[in-house]
Amino acid sequence: MSNNSYKFNSGSEGKIDFIAFVLYLILITIGLVNIYSVTSDVNQTGFHLSAIATKQLFWIGGAALIILTVIFANVTLIDYFSYYAYIIAILLNVAVLFLGRDVNGAKSWFGFGGFGIQPSEFAKVATAMAIAKFLGTYGIKFKGWKNIGISIGIFLLPMMIILVQNDTGSALVFMSFFLVLYREGMPGYFLVSAVWLGILSIISIILEQKHVSLGYLYGTILGISSFIIYFSRKNKQISILVALVAIVSVGYSAGIGHAYQTILKPYQKDRIEIVLGLKEDHRGMGYNLEQSKIAIGAGRLIGRGFQNGTQTKMGFVPEQHTDFIFCTIGEEWGFVGVLFFFGIYVGLLIRLVQLAERQTDTFGRVLGYSVACILFFHWFVNVGMTIGIIPVIGIPLPFISFGGSSLWAFTLLLFLFLRVDQVRK
Amino acid sequence: MQDLNKDRSKVFVIIFLVILSAFIYKVGSLQLMDDHYEQKAVNNALNKITLYPARSILYDRFGKVIVSNSAMYDLLVFPKEVKNTNPAFLCQVLQIDTAEFRQRINDALQKSKKRQKNNSFNRSAIFYSDLTIQQYTVIRENLFRLKGFYIEPKTDRRYEITGGAHALGYLGEVTESVMKEDVYYQPGDLVGITGIEKYYENVFRGIKGVKTVWQDRTYAERGVVNNDAFNFPATAGPNVTCAIDIELQKYAEALLTGKRGSVVAIEPSSGEILTFVNKPDFDPNELIGQDRGKAFRRMLIDPKKPLYNRAVKGTYPPGSTVKTVLALIAMQEGVLRPETTHGCNHGYHLGSITVGCHPHGGPLDLVGSLRISCNSYYCQVFRDIIDNPKYGDVKLGYAALERHWRSFGLGSPTGIDLLGESGGNIPSVKQLDRRHGGRWKSSMIISLGIGQGEILLTPLQLANVTAIIANRGYYYAPHLIKSINGTGFLDANWITKFRTKHNTTIDPAHFETVIEGMSQVTKPGGTAVGTGVGDIEICAKTGTAQNPHGKDHSLYIAFSPRVNPKIAIAVIVENGGFGATWAAPIANLLIEKYLKPTAEPFNVAMRERMLKGVINQ
Repeated sequence: MSNNSYKFNSGSEGKIDFIAFVLYLILITIGLVNIYSVTSDVNQTGFHLSAIATKQLFWIGGAALIILTVIFANVTLIDYFSYYAYIIAILLNVAVLFLGRDVNGAKSWFGFGGFGIQPSEFAKVATAMAIAKFLGTYGIKFKGWKNIGISIGIFLLPMMIILVQNDTGSALVFMSFFLVLYREGMPGYFLVSAVWLGILSIISIILEQKHVSLGYLYGTILGISSFIIYFSRKNKQISILVALVAIVSVGYSAGIGHAYQTILKPYQKDRIEIVLGLKEDHRGMGYNLEQSKIAIGAGRLIGRGFQNGTQTKMGFVPEQHTDFIFCTIGEEWGFVGVLFFFGIYVGLLIRLVQLAERQTDTFGRVLGYSVACILFFHWFVNVGMTIGIIPVIGIPLPFISFGGSSLWAFTLLLFLFLRVDQVRK
Repeated sequence: MQDLNKDRSKVFVIIFLVILSAFIYKVGSLQLMDDHYEQKAVNNALNKITLYPARSILYDRFGKVIVSNSAMYDLLVFPKEVKNTNPAFLCQVLQIDTAEFRQRINDALQKSKKRQKNNSFNRSAIFYSDLTIQQYTVIRENLFRLKGFYIEPKTDRRYEITGGAHALGYLGEVTESVMKEDVYYQPGDLVGITGIEKYYENVFRGIKGVKTVWQDRTYAERGVVNNDAFNFPATAGPNVTCAIDIELQKYAEALLTGKRGSVVAIEPSSGEILTFVNKPDFDPNELIGQDRGKAFRRMLIDPKKPLYNRAVKGTYPPGSTVKTVLALIAMQEGVLRPETTHGCNHGYHLGSITVGCHPHGGPLDLVGSLRISCNSYYCQVFRDIIDNPKYGDVKLGYAALERHWRSFGLGSPTGIDLLGESGGNIPSVKQLDRRHGGRWKSSMIISLGIGQGEILLTPLQLANVTAIIANRGYYYAPHLIKSINGTGFLDANWITKFRTKHNTTIDPAHFETVIEGMSQVTKPGGTAVGTGVGDIEICAKTGTAQNPHGKDHSLYIAFSPRVNPKIAIAVIVENGGFGATWAAPIANLLIEKYLKPTAEPFNVAMRERMLKGVINQ
């Protein structure tokens, strides 16, 4: 029992990873600078903190407290607390369905006066801990339908609850745990299939919207597969596999075409169609995307300069200090600034993979990959949205976007892992 | 511990790098391809508000304000922004219906698209021009409710007088073709359409200023851009002193009211136009503000042609007034001496040709021929000029005459600072050849000798001829502007054009005899006896121009004083009959007014008769 008891840092471990810590500090600074810029007055000269930039400073102060707490916490406690955290997170996310307030049609916020807390942000942290804990439990292997099922269930449960909150973006983030499972031994064809189904979905939707018969697609698939089967007819296994893939593909394509028309809401279809280039609408749904692209494009090579991003400051870009903060980086700091930001961010991702790989136990490794995959997914979806290669899905850019819940949650997530890394055996 | 999947970490790094590459490629293609996103961003966030300068204030030659400015307001709109705005309020204020509201929004949309093509920031366009003060007040108070609308102040003209319209001109909305030629203009701008307003448009208009403001997504103004490159104030047009004497102008207009014709008075020593009147004319006050277009369309179809500037566009046979010039030419050609006499037997008879003349004692010398305006005398003088044995050929003789005529500024525009001036007509040898089949004699064109036939002058040319005689042989191109900003002149071109002395082909010595003759015209025995104005010595010549369409035109030219003349004047009253009937009294009253501005008229009855006189035709 004494092993699991609360204990302050004894000082016998190594140091918090310096590279990751510095990259984190740089990202926080980039975020603050851009929030300061985008919320400042048009003709502002001299230093003047806007209300929003002041709030962000406050959140950063809170994040510092979180870091200190985590660094001085006993690692065993983190491990021990994982399931409880998960249960609390699940309960909070259910509670918010009843007690939360509506923000942009989603019921995912607890309101406290001027501040709000978004429990779904913390659900990511708790879920990462829970999966790490489960897979790290002695004797559990990522094998057999039962263990695989439990692993997937751990993140599907919060994902479903958050979907019910009508916060699609936050829910989708949980898909990043599939990548974590891949590292833990999930067969590669899962990922390949996912990518193939994704491609198939896009083709199906495009054909559907352009009123081209899906028969052409089916014909092509069946034609190619027959061709392959004919030439590898001596290898029965391949023939069967190809035939199976072809049949599933055709079935899936037919299903997705139908589902697209019947299940998705009009605004969701709009977003998808705009990104796929099926629809041009510079005033309605496409307006945000167009303005976002204008903002980034206007930055040219070296940017329009600090506080000079009119696209973002003047409100042409929506949510310019939260989900679309990347536009400010692009507009005010240009291609050079974007490369710098990407460099730091992807540097952190790669560093996290390195750290995860040097873990001596499964708990640490799974936690490390969870952090890397969640940060990757956010970056991919958020930036991809602002530059128009994936549909508009509202999730924040970690460490950069304004907002307390996300900053605290990502900071907690990162430093829990860095703390675990610090005391690895 | 055993880990079979360690190699998979590389897959993660590869995924990160693949996505990174895709992002860099996409961001690069947005940022580095061209500047069209940058242009769009600028178009989004900046609104250039035009600051309209005050147009030049026009003063008369003695410093009285003739034309000034008044504030005027346009209502502009960002057409895309009002698609869902309820038009009820504006419809009520502007008294338009919903259909017209939509029409105006659509028009504005087209205009704003054009503006965007010209790479202008501004996506707004005029929705409603020239708001009345009431409309302006109500709309300004409610502007916060009218999303996408804003008000731009401009200046419109304010006339301190009712006349002078044909000299001053008027303003109108700029046309497409003008905008194409000069990018300075935007739709809805006012430009000079005629008169000096048009001729000096580039001077009078001043220089527009620009205020560039930030605007956010809702088109709300978010402050002025702190960058001098984006903001500069408007520069008002310079103060302009016109050559016109506004009191004389008003008097001339009053005297000519009820008649059709022109009065042009020139200061001979400078070429400055003191008075420039046409009747019928229009009140320039009608061509300002909201009803400008309506009034203009009405004037355009008015059968009285109030817009017709006959002083520079109307051409008339000069009649007997041309005898002064013929006498000078004949003396210069050596075929006439002051003491030369010619008899007259109620006209000039040559074979089948007869040019009639009124009864008078004869024979007359040169002075007497002018006083009495003897037709026979000038038929003979005319023939002497072109049948001059020194040329040996009637065509050569005529060519010499034509050259002299042209040196008086006849047959081509005088170069006045108005556009569309006619040059009148001096028949060339070629023209006469065509008319007479190549073979002609002096007798066949004898009517030119008494100012009839193909010879045509504008009232302005006639006034200029008078100024030439007053000057004893030279003139400056007549002009309506005296100076810019007090004493300054416009530019070198202007000085070249209006400060170049044009000498005639006539020796100054010949003028005194002609002037002596002219000085007797208003005296007993003269054709204009009884029209004199006391002790003011007037040198004049009457004219009666035959008019194939009706009653003869009444013509009169005069200058005064005889030495150092201050004013030279030409008056044409259409269908006025004898020169002495209408034109002479009007001109002499004007001379009196100009030389003795404060004195009671010498002949009050004559003034009253002229003021009240109406010629119906």
